[in-house]
Amino acid sequence: MIKLASVNKYFYKGEAREVHALRDIDLNIKAGEFTLFSGESGCGKTTLLNAIGLLDSIDSGKIYLESEEVSTLSDDEKTKLRLTQMGFVFQAYNLVPVLNVEENIGFIMRLRGFSDSEIKQRVLEVASILEIDNLLKSLPHAISGGEEQRVAVARAVASKPKIILADEPTANLDSLNSQKLIDMMRELNEKEGISILFASHDEMVKKSVSRIIYMSDGALV
Amino acid sequence: MFSLALKNILFYKGRSITTFILTFISTVFLVLYVSMTDGSHDSMLKNSLKIYGGAIEIYHKDYRDIGGNEYLIQDVKSIESKLSKIDGIKLFSSRYETYGLLSFKDNSTASMVVGINPTKEIELSQLKSALQSGEYLKESSQNCIYLGSGVASKLKVKLGDEVSFIGGASDNSFSADIFVACGIFKTGLFEFDSSATFISRVYFDELMLSKNKASYITIKVEDLDEVDEVNNEIIKVLDSENLESLTWKTLMKTMVEAMEVDSIFGYISLSLFLIVIFFVIMIYGFINVSSRIKEFGVLRCIGLSKRAVFSLLLYEIFILSSLAIILATPIAGYICYYYSINPIVIEGIAQMYQDYGLVSDELPFSFDIFTIFWNICLIFILNLLSVVYPFFYINSFKPIEASRHV
Ligand SMILES: Nc1ncnc2c1ncn2[C@@H]1O[C@H](COP(=O)(O)OP(=O)(O)OP(=O)(O)O)[C@@H](O)[C@H]1O
Ligand SMILES: [Mg+2]
Repeated sequence: MIKLASVNKYFYKGEAREVHALRDIDLNIKAGEFTLFSGESGCGKTTLLNAIGLLDSIDSGKIYLESEEVSTLSDDEKTKLRLTQMGFVFQAYNLVPVLNVEENIGFIMRLRGFSDSEIKQRVLEVASILEIDNLLKSLPHAISGGEEQRVAVARAVASKPKIILADEPTANLDSLNSQKLIDMMRELNEKEGISILFASHDEMVKKSVSRIIYMSDGALV
Repeated sequence: MFSLALKNILFYKGRSITTFILTFISTVFLVLYVSMTDGSHDSMLKNSLKIYGGAIEIYHKDYRDIGGNEYLIQDVKSIESKLSKIDGIKLFSSRYETYGLLSFKDNSTASMVVGINPTKEIELSQLKSALQSGEYLKESSQNCIYLGSGVASKLKVKLGDEVSFIGGASDNSFSADIFVACGIFKTGLFEFDSSATFISRVYFDELMLSKNKASYITIKVEDLDEVDEVNNEIIKVLDSENLESLTWKTLMKTMVEAMEVDSIFGYISLSLFLIVIFFVIMIYGFINVSSRIKEFGVLRCIGLSKRAVFSLLLYEIFILSSLAIILATPIAGYICYYYSINPIVIEGIAQMYQDYGLVSDELPFSFDIFTIFWNICLIFILNLLSVVYPFFYINSFKPIEASRHV
């Protein structure tokens, strides 16, 4: 479903402090996989996820989504693909502060033009899987970090994207909450067949995933 | 997006309240200021029209631009007989206007000396009611001169003193005479009072050889609202290439233009005020947006387009300014309306503003829906424009950078 062919990415290209953040990445990810990117800090996990998520440009190579080359699309087209095909979970501050949990979960569906009843139904569905159905009317500042991340996951899956990209979503959580979040993501991955790309150096994530990709110094190992 | 904008407004209260109050104040201020300026200009125009101007005046072509004896109306009688057949004309009279030197003892001054028909002028102008001392002219007043108060004080003339006049007659010959100061008038039009003097035509025509000639014919209409219709009729009836018949709207153009120049300083300070308000609103919007960089970054990452971000900002300012303007307009409108009917009376303001021709203590506001409407539009557009810079600021970040912004 996602294919990367000799992808290279540099920061500060041509300067003395140049960083070769991605080195000749060739990668194939099938639909429905729960993939973990693992490796030391600074090995390029975030950079790779950002490249796949069309959030950052690459310097050479090609990225295909459903065999369509997407790395050359315009900004607006990339934005549209992110909206319709991808879900994102960031490390923190994922939610719109003025919207309550229910509205945050339904936000992308609303942007994509789903009907009110569809949204309501789907929000309840994912909220119950993620065990946040009792928080629907709360504002983001009034819920815990673990709950916040689960709301972010709920928002990412609600509109049934093809892929979810999650960059260290558990970094700010204690191990109990981390485990809970990962279990729930695993459940969604199995139930709904959504591919999940996950970057983390959290050891306990490893046993829940279907595939682990190790990285070192910008290259796959 | 609209409801998100509404929620943002309720959430970021400081910015919302500031923007609301500033918009409210600037709307009220602009509407009142413009209404007051327009109103006082309006009343100046009306006053000067009442005092000396005609609703319609007939000139020989080029008299107004070039002047001089070549451009006098030559056959007043025949024009007057044509005019008397037109409906809607209340009264008309010809005036013979010339410029000459008036002297008394050691003092001299240039003056606009006008030969008039004293009886008709009683209704056409306020020359008689402006009498300050002495007496107004009569048809039979021989060498009587009726002096503006400013002229009299420049010459240091008292009633009964003899004033000598030197000028050019209508055939370009030299003319001179001695007049007796019979009366002094004061209209309150400062320029006018310090330059105009009047003499009965019967006598003046002999001196100036201006019988049956006139500088112009001034006309009073029955109904000022129908001045254009009457004027068209006059043009039709006169049917002459050499004559032009103009309504007060055209005649006052120079005065209107003078007023516009006059109010330019007012408008400059007004626009300074609006610019300051604009920047304050923009800075508040900018501070607000800066504190939300991360939020916008996340939104852009998850697929909100630039356009959607822009409309979000636009909606926010749209809602805020609409509310402020909707509240401010009736209030400002009512104040304008109230003071257009009950003008503010400021003691002594007539003295202060006599240079500008304001001759009463009343300061009426104008109440004009259209003017109020464009004032509101101006504020509204300024408000909408204030989001442009904050928008470009957000867009200067890549979504992913913005989402990690600290
Ligand atoms: N915006 C940037 N500008 C410059 N260099 C960057 C930038 N982002 C990442 N890098 C560099 O690229 C390399 C890969 O960084 P990346 O963030 O992808 O690592 P990571 O595997 O996600 O690390 P961590 O586990 O700490 O999150 C690092 O050397 C980093 O310093
Ligand atoms: Mg990282």
